[in-house]
Amino acid sequence: MAISWFTLIFLTIYVGIGQLDALSAKIGLFSPVFGGAVTGLIMGDLKTGLVIGATLQLTTLGVATYGGATVPDFLSGSIMGTAFAILSGRGTAYGIGLAIPIGLLLTQMDILGRLTNTFFQHRADKYATEGNYKGVERMNIFGAIPWMLSRGIPVFIGLLFGSAVVKAINNWIPQWIMNGLKTAGIILPAMGIAILLRYLPIKRYFPYFIIGFVLMAYFAKTFSLLGTALLGLALAVIHVYNVMGNRKNNDNNEHHDDGGHAETEELAEVEIDV
Amino acid sequence: MSDMKLTKLTKKDVRSVFVRTWLGLQLGWNYEKMQGLGYAYAVMPALKRLYKNDKDKMKQALGLEMGFFNTTPQMAHLIVGADIALQDQLGMNDDSEKAIAGLKTGLMGPFAGVGDTVFVAIYNAIIFSITAYLCMSGQWIGLLIPPIGCCAITWVRWKLFGMGIAQGQRLATTFADSMSLFTEGASILGLTVVGGMIPSVIAYNVDLTYKVGKVTMSVQAMLDKIMPGLIPLAIAMVSYWLLGRKHMNSTRLIFVLIAVGMVLGNLQPIFGWLGGLFG
Repeated sequence: MAISWFTLIFLTIYVGIGQLDALSAKIGLFSPVFGGAVTGLIMGDLKTGLVIGATLQLTTLGVATYGGATVPDFLSGSIMGTAFAILSGRGTAYGIGLAIPIGLLLTQMDILGRLTNTFFQHRADKYATEGNYKGVERMNIFGAIPWMLSRGIPVFIGLLFGSAVVKAINNWIPQWIMNGLKTAGIILPAMGIAILLRYLPIKRYFPYFIIGFVLMAYFAKTFSLLGTALLGLALAVIHVYNVMGNRKNNDNNEHHDDGGHAETEELAEVEIDV
Repeated sequence: MSDMKLTKLTKKDVRSVFVRTWLGLQLGWNYEKMQGLGYAYAVMPALKRLYKNDKDKMKQALGLEMGFFNTTPQMAHLIVGADIALQDQLGMNDDSEKAIAGLKTGLMGPFAGVGDTVFVAIYNAIIFSITAYLCMSGQWIGLLIPPIGCCAITWVRWKLFGMGIAQGQRLATTFADSMSLFTEGASILGLTVVGGMIPSVIAYNVDLTYKVGKVTMSVQAMLDKIMPGLIPLAIAMVSYWLLGRKHMNSTRLIFVLIAVGMVLGNLQPIFGWLGGLFG
């Protein structure tokens, strides 16, 4: 139940870079599914990492930092959950069960990081009044440091000392909790879906939602989600063409009485605080 | 960006502003000015070109650009593009300062509304759900999808940046018109995928059997006869409904779902215990 120094340092650096990815290009390193996969790969059990990462990804599908709101840190959760699942050999349900409380706990580190950057902001304000543009540039780049440390430090400490704590949990945990966690891991993706539905105009376009559901519920053996996406794309393009056609000849607008000027459904507030 | 009419800024300046907006907009994110510091960093190559030898104008420009700013990062390119195009034309004086400050504060809110729907909610619904769907069954190839999506989005960002430069102040009206139809189409695609995800990723089966005479019946088999994916759909729709309640947020929903999982994961012992009470 010990983790190698190489793995420890690699994952600490990875989580810092992952956070920077979340703030900039969003290549994918920031996502829990990558966190799990990378951790699994480096610890020699890619499959466990993929499954834990993917489950957490689905759980947090709709959770995003809208307007700078703080959300649970499921990248760090995914990394630590995968690491402990592999170390203890207790499987994916256990890893997911650990990752969720870890992610929730680390919410505070995000707030701390954003707060620390206020210091650089004050320095930059001072440079701006002096016309020192190089100083302003430097302060923004320094802002990357709190972002990386706010993720790197907890992952480092968690992986270094966590295995002792996890070992204690291992000896105590009863079977019914393990069964419960396993099922919780299966149904938690419902949360990600529910949050997405809050942001999508489901009341207006529910028929498409039903089409997607029916395809995958009744034909799951012969159909895939990618196929569903392609069908969705076709339906979307048909809709757009119809609306554009109706704009041109207004005599044929029974089916789309409100043309293309419909407002997207107002964004539902999904409040996130811990 | 063929219709770009910049006179003072070079191609290199423009490219450098794009890269900085792309990668650096949120590095200095803080509770006071949010993306304000990153915004000043992003437009700095343009400011350097225009006001390097005029300290007073540089001070004025820095003060303007470091004001409070926050929007969906993908949409910021439009505003940054319009901003540097305006400064290229008008330079820095009290009038242009007012115009640009109005542009930034006026557009960041509405753009965030559209941007969060398209670039966050719909994008995640399509890209990351398919990725996770593949990875859940152990197929690492799914990991290739987000980088591909990232390339496409980066191209879109570059186009939006060019639109911002070309449109300048007319940005708000032209953009809103073309965006609404696109958002509708993307919503339809997103909803179809999300509908398909429910039965495929919430892979819960009722683990409960009962005996009628000598035959053991499975509750899940009965439920499947009514409709496959009935329980996953119910869990998802109840979660959707709960999120609309006043005192509910996503963190609390996690605890609710864990509690539900604890019950559903132990159905057989629970029913055995209940049966023991009456039997």
